[in-house]
Amino acid sequence: MSDAEAVLRVEDLRVAFDTRDGLLQAVDGVSFAVARGRTLGIVGESGSGKTVAATTAMGLVRGARVRTSGRVLLDGEDLLGASPERLRALRGATIAMVFQDPLSALHPLLRVGAQIEEAVRAHRDVGRAAARARTLELLEHVAIPDARRRRDAYPHELSGGMRQRAMIAMALANEPRVLIADEPTTALDVTVQAQILALLRRLRDELGMAMVLITHDLGVVAETADEVAVMYAGRIVEQAPAAELFAAPQHPYTWGLLRSTPRLEAAVGADLVAIPGRPPSLLQPPSGCRFHPRCPYVRERHREVDPALEPLAAGPDHRVACLLPEAERQALWARLAAGATPEQARAAAAGGSEEAAR
Amino acid sequence: MPHSLVRAILLGVLSVTAALVLAACGSSGDDGGSAATVDSGKDGRRGGTLTLLTSQDVANLDPGITYSSLDLNMLAATQRTLYKYAPDDPSNIQPDLAAGPPQVSPDGRTLTVRIRRAVRFGPPVNREVTARDVKYAIERGFNPNVANPYAPQYYGTVVGADRASGGPIAGIETPDDHTLVFRLTRPTASLLAEATILPLSAPVPQEYARPLDARSPSDYGNHVVSSGPYMLEADRDGRVLGTGYVPGRSLRLVRNPNWEASTDERPAYLDAIEWRIGGRPGVSGRQVLDGEGMILGDTPPPALVKRAYQDARDQIVFSPGAGNRYVTLNTAIPPFDDENVRKAVAAALDREQMRRIRGGEVVGDVASHFLYPGVLGFEEAGGQEGTGVDFLAEPRGDMELAREYMRRAGYADGRYDGDETVQVVGLAGAPDDANAQIVDQTLQELGFDTNLRIVDASVYYSRFCALPRARVHVCPNVGWIRDFADPQTVLNLPFNGAYIFPENSPNISQLDDPAINRAMARGELTVGTDERASAWAEIDRMVIATAAAVPWLWDKQPNLSAEDVRCVPQLWNQGHCDFSYTSIE
Amino acid sequence: MAAYILRRVLWGLVLLVLVSALTFVVFYVLPSADPAQLRAGRSASPETLAQIRESLGLNESLPSQFWTFLTSLMLHADLGYSYFSGASVGSLLIDRLPATLALTLGALVLWLLVAVPVGVLAAVRRGTWVDKLTTGGAVLGISMPVYWLGLVALYLFSDDIGLIPLLPGAGAYVPLTEDPGAWFAALVLPWLVLASTFTAVYARLLRGNMIEVLSEDYVRTARAKGLSERRVVLRHGLRAAATPLVTLAGLDVGLLLGGAVLVETVFNIPGIGSLSYDAIVNADYPVIQGTVLLAACFVIVANIVVDILYAYLDPRVREA
Repeated sequence: MSDAEAVLRVEDLRVAFDTRDGLLQAVDGVSFAVARGRTLGIVGESGSGKTVAATTAMGLVRGARVRTSGRVLLDGEDLLGASPERLRALRGATIAMVFQDPLSALHPLLRVGAQIEEAVRAHRDVGRAAARARTLELLEHVAIPDARRRRDAYPHELSGGMRQRAMIAMALANEPRVLIADEPTTALDVTVQAQILALLRRLRDELGMAMVLITHDLGVVAETADEVAVMYAGRIVEQAPAAELFAAPQHPYTWGLLRSTPRLEAAVGADLVAIPGRPPSLLQPPSGCRFHPRCPYVRERHREVDPALEPLAAGPDHRVACLLPEAERQALWARLAAGATPEQARAAAAGGSEEAAR
Repeated sequence: MPHSLVRAILLGVLSVTAALVLAACGSSGDDGGSAATVDSGKDGRRGGTLTLLTSQDVANLDPGITYSSLDLNMLAATQRTLYKYAPDDPSNIQPDLAAGPPQVSPDGRTLTVRIRRAVRFGPPVNREVTARDVKYAIERGFNPNVANPYAPQYYGTVVGADRASGGPIAGIETPDDHTLVFRLTRPTASLLAEATILPLSAPVPQEYARPLDARSPSDYGNHVVSSGPYMLEADRDGRVLGTGYVPGRSLRLVRNPNWEASTDERPAYLDAIEWRIGGRPGVSGRQVLDGEGMILGDTPPPALVKRAYQDARDQIVFSPGAGNRYVTLNTAIPPFDDENVRKAVAAALDREQMRRIRGGEVVGDVASHFLYPGVLGFEEAGGQEGTGVDFLAEPRGDMELAREYMRRAGYADGRYDGDETVQVVGLAGAPDDANAQIVDQTLQELGFDTNLRIVDASVYYSRFCALPRARVHVCPNVGWIRDFADPQTVLNLPFNGAYIFPENSPNISQLDDPAINRAMARGELTVGTDERASAWAEIDRMVIATAAAVPWLWDKQPNLSAEDVRCVPQLWNQGHCDFSYTSIE
Repeated sequence: MAAYILRRVLWGLVLLVLVSALTFVVFYVLPSADPAQLRAGRSASPETLAQIRESLGLNESLPSQFWTFLTSLMLHADLGYSYFSGASVGSLLIDRLPATLALTLGALVLWLLVAVPVGVLAAVRRGTWVDKLTTGGAVLGISMPVYWLGLVALYLFSDDIGLIPLLPGAGAYVPLTEDPGAWFAALVLPWLVLASTFTAVYARLLRGNMIEVLSEDYVRTARAKGLSERRVVLRHGLRAAATPLVTLAGLDVGLLLGGAVLVETVFNIPGIGSLSYDAIVNADYPVIQGTVLLAACFVIVANIVVDILYAYLDPRVREA
């Protein structure tokens, strides 16, 4: 992807919060780019910084206690330095966002239609009637049945799926060039999840939007994203075209995510395994590789050396921040993909390397 | 803010002054309450509206019911009783509706009063007042719908009064329109003549009032008809309620168009009196001191008394003879059924301190007996010096003597060591509660275990002190105000054994001393001013000697008025500015 | 909704009967003053006292007295007559209601007008001097006793006894129909005093609600839509944050209409509060009963109104 194609480009984004307990580095040097009609999936556990990165890009994270640096370029215009007025003009118009829980993200006391109308009129000098008409159109566009009646409903009167459709309609009100969808399906039933993802894909293609899909669920990005960035502890630890990532994941954390994802058809079998341990505190991140406290393959050196995100020798589009030798990673993944536990994989890999040495 | 309806209660409630020790300011030797400063009200300027500010409402507009100090002031301007006191003379009755002095028959059983001619009722009655109107006024006092509280006491000796219930009383005769004859079963005519200063003797037009008196309770008060220089503003039918009287808000007195100045000694300078109800005394008092044409009907709070005393001496009057205050000791139950124990308490109490916390010298004299200055018999009972008993000789209290009396009572070390816990009930609100605390402390010094309860004025008597079954031992905040200058009105009810009732008992000490009871029975029937003075002075001495109650203050009541108001205080009625004599300069 | 309101109204009526029964019992069972003795005075003989009891109807048995009261109230809308002035309780209440209405509603407008902007500003400018000033002011406002504050206001600003004569002081109230200008002027100080405590409470409460609401997801959504900050705060934030305030305001107004006793007594405003105060002092039972019933009425009505209003403001409640 060349620079020219990228609609949204984030460069070395750092976000820290000045808390009572010290500086909390939520996002620590994140870079990515999305082109028109393409989807970037950002994957990570909660607390990995993916939502902060996205909302910062939207200019929604500002305040006396927030420290930001880096650049967020929307069509080449830096949003981090933009005036509040300029940001307001872009938000909801050029760059829009869909949130995780539509019930809490929609105002409970206002009619759904009124909330969408407001989005329309925030950026277009149109009358009430025109805005209402546009609202109806939008609701129909996101396939809400009986849209005319639903327009006058309150959020709590709609089903979860309908609410999320309404949220999407609101985000699309002004046909944005970039859509950030933050866990758009997490709060929904499994059957509805697929419908919403299909809807997002359809809209992306119809409107030619660049989409950032944030999720903790690799299964969600598998069908939708063109490229995937895996975030851990405020950093991107692996980034690759989606097919590449699923075919040859490089980072032990990615492996963990894959092993804990139910719909992955990889030969992991029925063994769904959560990654042991908890994400680290971002007030005092671990030294060396931030994943080392939870990594089953950790070496002494990993506790001191901080790995950089570097392209693989095999393909420059695939980048990873891991100190394990590339060959060893391949061996480990091969075992894991075959159904081995990390312990088995580690033992086998060690033996394998011994054999190889012999 | 304690309120009370009734004159007698009022005294107990008067929160005269407090801890700001005014005695210091009084050391100039000038007695703020001396009669010399009292204005008789001559040559005032005519015209203007006087505004009276009070926190409490009028108790009742009906002259047959009313018995409270503020109401008496209003009635003195709107009703003409047979006799009255001039504002500057609280001791000698003067004819008002009467045409001359009372004629008492030699046997004291007949009282004849001639009625003035050309005194006319105000609208809507508009006719001349006759003797029959006075007769009806008194008769209706016995009507249960009116239930005058003092009628049985003072008019009870009228022939037929004992069976009266509102209808004609045979002993009140009206041989002609201007003559009234009271025939009595006992020789109490002179006492009765004096009692006519109370509003029950004000004429009430029967033809107008009878239907109102038929209601239960009587509604005459809300339609009251005037006979004096002023009247309550009323509608065409004479209805005062909602016109001249808005409950809890205001009363308005205007000139009575039918009043003839030639029939009355009252100068009646003012055109109108506006009575505004509901302000807090602290605020109203300041409004009076800073304002124009205003007087305060409430007892001013200590800070204002001090301010007026220091900066505006001509705006404050301390009216002497405003009542007495005493500590009652329940003689019916141990331990105060023992006379020596009572005397010990009397000897121990620092009455000087009791006065000091109320404001010192300006609020009154330390009392040594019950008859107080201005009441007949005060001098005969010993005047300021007292009756001579040793246990009241030292105003600051005499603990040595107190211990001696305790020893005489059988407590060897001069301290109480019995089992009784002494129930003390004090009145809420400064400085009354502080007085109660001093008494409580004095009792403890004598070795008593005490239980001090501070209660609100509205229940002080009805639920505690005047209720024998409540078995209260000590009531430190009791007082009594005379009905008129006769000493019987100060001593009879509070100390006569005949007045121990199961409830609302005026004899709070429950003193039932046969000798005193007999002396009082004789005193009631004693004829002649000097004779009555000495008879009741002797009774005063006898009561004092029992130590059934410990007198500690003869009140002077502070009254505030605006700078431009020439207030003529009613010395017979707490020093309220008399509406009919007061003028605005 | 209509059925619901009807049910509430009926239940309210039952409540009123219970309240009046309770008032009755409290008055006669607790050691309150005895109206007959207050009227009779300390000199009255037991016979006179009995006569007065009879004329006031106090000699009948308690249930029979209560029954008389209830039936005349139900059948003739008659609350009886004051023991004290003989005026009908109904006429007294009607006489006093306008002042209380004016005092309460005026103060309500005032405290909302001040508390809402201050609360919003303090929440939006959280941690700045505006916020600190508001929080400090609120603590001060809440901790100052109304009675004392009223006196201070009088001593400082009343045109008769104040240091800086500005506004009419105590006892200056006149009916609106008599002189609208004087009516308004006389109410300014009482309004300010009455509103001060409520302003403090409401501003503080709104600040808290607002801070909470502004961190809600839907406010973030509103921002993400590109709405102006003003619209985000006022339409999305305030709309949600103010709803609990409406409930509170409704109940407070209901209570105050039952009598803002302290302010009415300090400023000598002839309202329901001063009427009930005097009635209690004078053991004027029929008036006590009347004011208690009126106050209970206001509280019950306020509750119903608040429920309706709440359903109007919060659609989620409507279905429940």
